[in-house]
Amino acid sequence: MLVMRPAQMADLTEVQRLAADSPVGVTSLPDDADRLREKIAASEASFSAEVSFNGEESYFFVLEDSESGRLVGCSGVVASAGYSEPFYSFRNETFVHNSRELKIHNKIHVLSLCHDLTGNSLLTSFYVERPLVNTAWSELNSRGRLLFLANHPERFADAVVVEIVGYSDEGGDSPFWDAVGRNFFDMNYTEAERLCGLKSRTFLAELMPHYPIYVPLLPDEAQEAMGQVHPRAQISFDILMREGFETDHYIDIFDGGPTLHARTSGIRSIAQSRVVPVRIGEPGKGGRPYLVSNGQLQDFRAIVAELDWVPGKPVTLSVAAAEALGVGEGVSVRLVAV
Amino acid sequence: MIVRPVRSTDLPALFQLARSTGAGLTTLPANEERLAHRVGWAEKTFRGEAARADADYLFVLEDDNGEVVGISAVAGAVGLREPWYNYRVGLTVSASQELNIHRQIPTLFLANDLTGNSELCSLFLRSDQRSGLNGRLLSKARFLFIAEFRELFGDKVIAEMRGMSDESGRSPFWESLGRHFFKMEFCQADYLTGVGNKAFIAELMPKFPLYTCFLSEDARNIIGRVHPDTEPALAMLKGEGFSYQGYVDIFDAGPAIEAETAKIRAVQDSQVLVLAVGTPGDDAPQFLIHNRKREDCRITAAPARLAAGTLVVDAQTAKRLRLSAGDQVRAVAVSARG
Repeated sequence: MLVMRPAQMADLTEVQRLAADSPVGVTSLPDDADRLREKIAASEASFSAEVSFNGEESYFFVLEDSESGRLVGCSGVVASAGYSEPFYSFRNETFVHNSRELKIHNKIHVLSLCHDLTGNSLLTSFYVERPLVNTAWSELNSRGRLLFLANHPERFADAVVVEIVGYSDEGGDSPFWDAVGRNFFDMNYTEAERLCGLKSRTFLAELMPHYPIYVPLLPDEAQEAMGQVHPRAQISFDILMREGFETDHYIDIFDGGPTLHARTSGIRSIAQSRVVPVRIGEPGKGGRPYLVSNGQLQDFRAIVAELDWVPGKPVTLSVAAAEALGVGEGVSVRLVAV
Repeated sequence: MIVRPVRSTDLPALFQLARSTGAGLTTLPANEERLAHRVGWAEKTFRGEAARADADYLFVLEDDNGEVVGISAVAGAVGLREPWYNYRVGLTVSASQELNIHRQIPTLFLANDLTGNSELCSLFLRSDQRSGLNGRLLSKARFLFIAEFRELFGDKVIAEMRGMSDESGRSPFWESLGRHFFKMEFCQADYLTGVGNKAFIAELMPKFPLYTCFLSEDARNIIGRVHPDTEPALAMLKGEGFSYQGYVDIFDAGPAIEAETAKIRAVQDSQVLVLAVGTPGDDAPQFLIHNRKREDCRITAAPARLAAGTLVVDAQTAKRLRLSAGDQVRAVAVSARG
């Protein structure tokens, strides 16, 4: 059974294996043991911290095959984007240049560097092994985090954002980066993203153009790449779009990938999930897949289970499912349909 | 040859001249109505009936047969009625010692900095007359006039030099920048400013600074450069003390050069002398000579000799100036010595 749980320091080697296969734009998963060790340590501290409002915490989850102990995915949530430093995005804006006399009415698309999303909670570090793409376990790996948010609202902001990796070609070149960032850094996209992972995105963002960029001046390939999703990030994008995240307002300043955002309370898995008491037994036939999580913090667990659940009634979990979640009869779990 | 104020009887000749200028001379549009309007203003200006903000000192170059073969003008002040725009070519530095990055990105700032200065404009000499002293007389006559009526002009004099364009009149700068905001041909935009539609610039041009890295390489390379045909005029004005201080035209990026009025060589070195009629001698230097009049201004170029506070010229020159021996003139050597 695949179980989602908080990452532990013992996972480091396995996590680095996942990070090494992760696309270059996922800077929250650098293929660097020191950075990953810090990341896991920060997560362990966050899960154990007493928190009454969202601050510097970051939570890092892994998806583990409970039989083999092998990790097959990971994901994270940062409680406050840009907690100690500004969080940069490009905001899509429209300027109207109008001349009554000449009967010219031009809508000019510009990108403005902004800090609008600072302080929002940030979904990060999404990775699943390729065989799991388009399975219920991808949903678990992504949306399990949302069940955790629903259980601990005091730990998160009232809005959630996620930066989706933007388009880059097989050679690792990003047309958006080449047209924009490269002018200011004199390095290629892969190198810049590597630095983002090793240092911080803010560190590089501060070197980006601070005046608005007039989009019509960018080459066609760069314009087309704006808001485009990297093929390997499509799965993450699709899951979150179904959750009600909105796109179009912000893009990533490095690769032009879409930055999604949503009100926390309006996210589907949060708004539609239910807290239900558990019975242990034989789940009925004709069920459908659900994401199920316990309400714990350090012992957070989430799984996919076929359930024949009737709203308003307790849920019947198999012994195996209840064991994986670490719950007994009468304890409540949170569940939502896959 | 003499330079004198324009008169309404010159209109047919002016229209002929305007039609032969092609694109690039914004202040001499080939439009009969606009030309008549302009000549009317010039006549008022020379009569002393126009405020400095509206003053348009339009001169013609007339040969000894009374034929008009060229024009030149000085505007009393730019930008006091409608905003006067240039780009200031500034610099943005993207630097990080830690990353070993130092990028210098020339950046264009839309500015009204040249507001209130007097402007040399509308210089045009018929192609079959571009020989001898004609060009220098036509251009530099304006400095003698400015020296004589210093209070009518600003503390600085500027001149916008024609920028680079190809044989078919296409400006790489316009193609890379202006076209995106105006959606019209360069010559059309140029014509519209020439006929006084300057307000539309403000309405349609980008208001934020422009990083030149977003322009085409061709466009970047010609910022501040003059059209080859304008090189001699640029060299001449530099010889008079004009220099490029980083302002360029917003359409074709040609340089706007400037000089402190009092320090223009032909202004500073000009002196008031008593006219003597005689034989200047074979090796006499060429002088620009002004009859010190405003409405009946006549300025010519001729060999002359300085002798004890007098300027000795031949009878023909005195006749061109409509002066007699004993009258006062303002004179300066055509070019700096040495």
